[in-house]
Amino acid sequence: MLSYRPGSTVAHRLDPRSKLLFQFGLAIAAVAHPTLPWLVGTTAFALCALAAARLSPLAVLRSYRIVLAVLALAPFVAGVALGPPWFRVDPALRSALHVGRILPVLLVSAAYLTSTPVRDTRAAVQRLIPGKPGQILGIGMALVVRLFPLVLADVREVRDAIHARGGEARPLWDRARLLAVRSLERTLDRSDRLSVALRARCFAWNPTLPPLAFDRRDYPVLAVGIALAVSPLVSV
Amino acid sequence: MATEQSVDLVDDETVGLFTKAVLLAALTAALAQISIPLPGTLPPFSLQPFGMFFAGLLLGPLWGGVALLLYVLVGIAGAPVFSNGAAGIGYVIAGKGTGGFLVGFLVGAVVAGAIAHRSIAPKPVADLSVPVQVVALVAAVAIVYAIGIPWLAVVTGLPFARAAATMAPFIPFDLLKLGIAIAIVQGGYLAGR
Repeated sequence: MLSYRPGSTVAHRLDPRSKLLFQFGLAIAAVAHPTLPWLVGTTAFALCALAAARLSPLAVLRSYRIVLAVLALAPFVAGVALGPPWFRVDPALRSALHVGRILPVLLVSAAYLTSTPVRDTRAAVQRLIPGKPGQILGIGMALVVRLFPLVLADVREVRDAIHARGGEARPLWDRARLLAVRSLERTLDRSDRLSVALRARCFAWNPTLPPLAFDRRDYPVLAVGIALAVSPLVSV
Repeated sequence: MATEQSVDLVDDETVGLFTKAVLLAALTAALAQISIPLPGTLPPFSLQPFGMFFAGLLLGPLWGGVALLLYVLVGIAGAPVFSNGAAGIGYVIAGKGTGGFLVGFLVGAVVAGAIAHRSIAPKPVADLSVPVQVVALVAAVAIVYAIGIPWLAVVTGLPFARAAATMAPFIPFDLLKLGIAIAIVQGGYLAGR
């Protein structure tokens, strides 16, 4: 599983805003045209991103093996015909090219995930989206990251309790209902407690923003990100 | 020189809706990691759509949308909240071809909330009639597939009909989940929420 690893690579030292823009720019460029030259070009950019994060492309592909295995089925599904010749090559190749252009998106996403802590993305969201929406989303992201393990533990506890009471013998709809309702009750109780805690701590619309700063090295990354994002328009 | 800045407190009602949105985002993430195994070659019974259903029914279009937007943003930021602990923009765009369903959940929560409450401010769930709940959740499921299937077709290069046929086996399970969500509301478990 890909997750943040502390480090001092070029990718680690970049501002998360420039990395986000590069990532979105590459994603737009990659999905714009399902052609081989376009795929080669965007993959080259993605490999540069991996090099900046000092990630091995093979290790990243191994991390995505399940996703890639499922996507690899698409050309076979596209090529299968319900009569002679039973398998058509053209739709299969077309599908393979479509699936192939996802590869650079996955690679650049891996570079971002391993070089950017969640708190930096949260800070970027809070700064990029102005006003109250940015505050709500930034603080909300921080709280979801903090509370997700607790809620997951709650849900697993409920599931284990259902099993312990012979729940596996119950019908599917009843097990799903029990799991959903008990998990929801615990979640809403947590919400009530969080609400009281936030009010007690004077939850305000104008908290101190987390620090972020552009450096000289961010500007080329920003420029390439913008160029990639508009490249489909230029090439038409 | 000292600078003065007044503290702009968030009102109590907004704090309550905000914390519900945060916790429902966390619940959606938790339910994405849990599924009930089914016999034979049937796909596991995922509980993730319940996050969308309850976000729309409990929070209305605005805060229900915020809940699912927080879920997607946290996943893009790198928290392992998508199914099987996946994360990242690559998973949202591609996933296993199913990234569109994540976006569909977000839009579905907004649509369910808009139909159920017909205003930005949510009403108590107990005030929603059963037909309104059914229409709201059916519309949400329809939106999820209306976004997810073309997305799957674009990502994989499959013809639309073939992409739709690939996802068709999941529709009865989603309708069953819809029925369970309405049974939970009618059972009075969310009274006073």
